[in-house]
Amino acid sequence: MDQPQLRTLEATCIQEESPQCSAACPIHIDVRAFMGCLAKEDWRGARRVLDRTMPFADIVGRICDEPCRRACKRAETGDPLAVGSLERFCVTTVPMVLKQPRLPAKGGSVAVIGSGLSAMTAALDLARKGRNVVMMTGDEEVGGSLRGYAEEILPARVLSGAVETLDSYGVNIQFGWSLNKEFFDIVRQDSDAVFFDRDCAGLASLPVDCTHPDPLTLAVGNDGCFAGGGTTENGFSIMKQVEDGRRAALSIERYLQKVSLTAQREREGACPTRLHTVTIGIESLKEVQPADPSTGFTQQESAREASRCIQCECMECVKQCAFLQEFKDYPKRLVRKIYNNQAIVQGTRTANKMINSCMLCGQCTVICPHDFPMATVCRSTRENMVAKSTMPPSAHEFALQDMEFSLGEFSAMTRHQPGRDSSRFLFYPGCQLAGSAPFAVEQTYLHLTGHLAGGVGLMLGCCGIPAHWSGRQELFNQTMQSFQAEVNRLGDPLIITACSSCYAVFKEFAPELQVQSLWQILDRMELPERKTAIPPQPMTIHDPCTVRHDPEIRASVRNIIKKLGISIEEQPYSGELTDCCGYGGLMQFANVPLGEKAARAKGLRSDLDGLAYCAMCRDNIAASGRRIAHLLDYLFPAAEQEDPLLRPNPGFSRRHENRARLKQHLLNTLWHEEPVMTPDYKSIKLFIPPQVMELMNTRHILEDDIQKVIFQAEQTGKRLVDPENGHFLASFKPVRVTYWVEYQPDKQGYIVHNAYSHRMILPGDAK
Amino acid sequence: MSNFSFISETEWRCGCCNKELQPRKVNVEYMGSVFNVELMVCPVCGFVLVPEDLALGKMLEVEQLLEDK
Ligand SMILES: [Zn+2]
Repeated sequence: MDQPQLRTLEATCIQEESPQCSAACPIHIDVRAFMGCLAKEDWRGARRVLDRTMPFADIVGRICDEPCRRACKRAETGDPLAVGSLERFCVTTVPMVLKQPRLPAKGGSVAVIGSGLSAMTAALDLARKGRNVVMMTGDEEVGGSLRGYAEEILPARVLSGAVETLDSYGVNIQFGWSLNKEFFDIVRQDSDAVFFDRDCAGLASLPVDCTHPDPLTLAVGNDGCFAGGGTTENGFSIMKQVEDGRRAALSIERYLQKVSLTAQREREGACPTRLHTVTIGIESLKEVQPADPSTGFTQQESAREASRCIQCECMECVKQCAFLQEFKDYPKRLVRKIYNNQAIVQGTRTANKMINSCMLCGQCTVICPHDFPMATVCRSTRENMVAKSTMPPSAHEFALQDMEFSLGEFSAMTRHQPGRDSSRFLFYPGCQLAGSAPFAVEQTYLHLTGHLAGGVGLMLGCCGIPAHWSGRQELFNQTMQSFQAEVNRLGDPLIITACSSCYAVFKEFAPELQVQSLWQILDRMELPERKTAIPPQPMTIHDPCTVRHDPEIRASVRNIIKKLGISIEEQPYSGELTDCCGYGGLMQFANVPLGEKAARAKGLRSDLDGLAYCAMCRDNIAASGRRIAHLLDYLFPAAEQEDPLLRPNPGFSRRHENRARLKQHLLNTLWHEEPVMTPDYKSIKLFIPPQVMELMNTRHILEDDIQKVIFQAEQTGKRLVDPENGHFLASFKPVRVTYWVEYQPDKQGYIVHNAYSHRMILPGDAK
Repeated sequence: MSNFSFISETEWRCGCCNKELQPRKVNVEYMGSVFNVELMVCPVCGFVLVPEDLALGKMLEVEQLLEDK
């Protein structure tokens, strides 16, 4: 990721865009912050928000014509916020908190003609910036049209308070001028720039046409002259007076600095915003009415009214994603962290864990109104980390070794249908289904061979997605190449995938191969006669994240479920919006506790018993304690009639075992081939209590590893002994991780009491 | 982690040599960084004990720190 890419990405996330109210406000008052302060009864804080942006807050706060109210998102579920009444409450009960400083004098004389609100604003803004300002008016008081307000709305003493304010910033106010040609000549001679407030009688008699100022700069025909304010075709708007005064002051600043009057002024005045706020599900609330309308809101009423503010933000992706919630940030800030992490040459790369915790599932991209590509960013960053050797070795090693095992001699195999030498079809169950439900793989295969003509081959292996997810592109490419070569060797049969990750990988990376989902095939086929009782009704479907963009597969699954007579209640976050179970992006390996959270969150999307059609979703949600079955459990029920909803998560060791046994079993029963020789250490028989098994699962220790440790300890006698209880403690480092096992010989094998591991290399270890 | 001592009374004895373990300075290494630490070791064959709390505590912490360097 380079700087321009970072900028583009940052601009894609709209969380930091202005809320609708501030965008609609001509001077961009932070209405959301104002409401936030009032809601928590921070009255001074609320006043500070106004003082920061609003000129003459005591005046404007009483009479603001609240253009923001028309933009308020609250109107979608209730009444828009009573912003004007709240401003009035604030300025009438809390005196000024923040007096803006006056910058040091910097020359440049400005004449402000007239004394209406836009003249007042222009004079104030320019004086604050250190300009020498003279306000010249034919009137005897300030305020222009504002003097028409009733005393109870805008008391005369408050309005004339503006004179003191302007005075305190050094504005020289001169009343009683006659506006004529002579006056104009004096003004032009004595000042570098002039602002004409159109809320002022007598402008027409001056030799300057103030009727059509430039809308962007408010410049009029004469050089250095600007005009604004007054009544327009839309009537007399208070905030328009303020806007014009401020806009003219900025133009005059630019004019005096001799810089462009027009560059980068798009965000002045009311402007559009891209902030996206969903109000669905927010309770509708009516505007709070003051008990005594003549005195307006009380403190309590103000807090109550302000607390109706939704505090607009986007956060739509964060609301749904366990990963974004865990790192408490939205994509804009995360990409910045990723960029900074990449730039570190020496020091700790604190964002590594975050980068490896994204499920790469693309849910946020679907939710985002601008399709923020979080998964693409995280995955390509991982690839970059691998290339630069900054990827932490422990993050994905266990998952990659699992993949290696699935592709190795004990699990992988490719065969034509028994008794045939060609294949029109090739069943590819995928590593995780073979690991989770080997019986279902066998039964599905038998069903397919019985119903499809032309030969159905079988390939056990792994599509390589763990390598892709972990950024190991070279390994992934190799895996894809061997897979393609193997498919070519079989005569390019149509591949039938049971796993939607395999399906997605083949579609994207081997587009020349023919691939269909098992569910599409089964949907068009006679279904097996179901032998289990119909499960409790209704159930909910947990779509896997890898079918997010495959509506046909999702539809086939639903058809099959319907044919089975199972009724379904859809959950809101299914289909295109479905969550990942934590396996995606290898998140559950790089961040074990977060993986558990993600699985739990997915399982809790519905109270109903679940039905999954991805083996990892099924197992992870089952591990989180929910009742959930795999669709194949109902299509091809196991003989022992156990309730598929209660089938436990097999865990990593059992998955290994299942894959190896499946291969042996199928070779033996269908192809009548000799089993593959197993290594010596497999002769070690283990008794592992359930709590130790659970420990091994979270610590990523396999039965295989334990067998290796004990085998080697028993062969060499190198082990520690506890004379108290006769337990042994031994260690072994097969590749990079050193495993420790506390065990005890038993009549038929070994009881495992504990297992742990470390990566630190001890003296005498191979490096 | 360098120059830290992780010695503590232990029931474990070397099964090979039938000796009590004794504190000894050893070098452990990860990602190119070497640390000289005191661990419980068999005085005869040099078998080094890494107890569970060390492996899952300080050692893991240092491993992860080094991986992010
Ligand atoms: Zn010894």
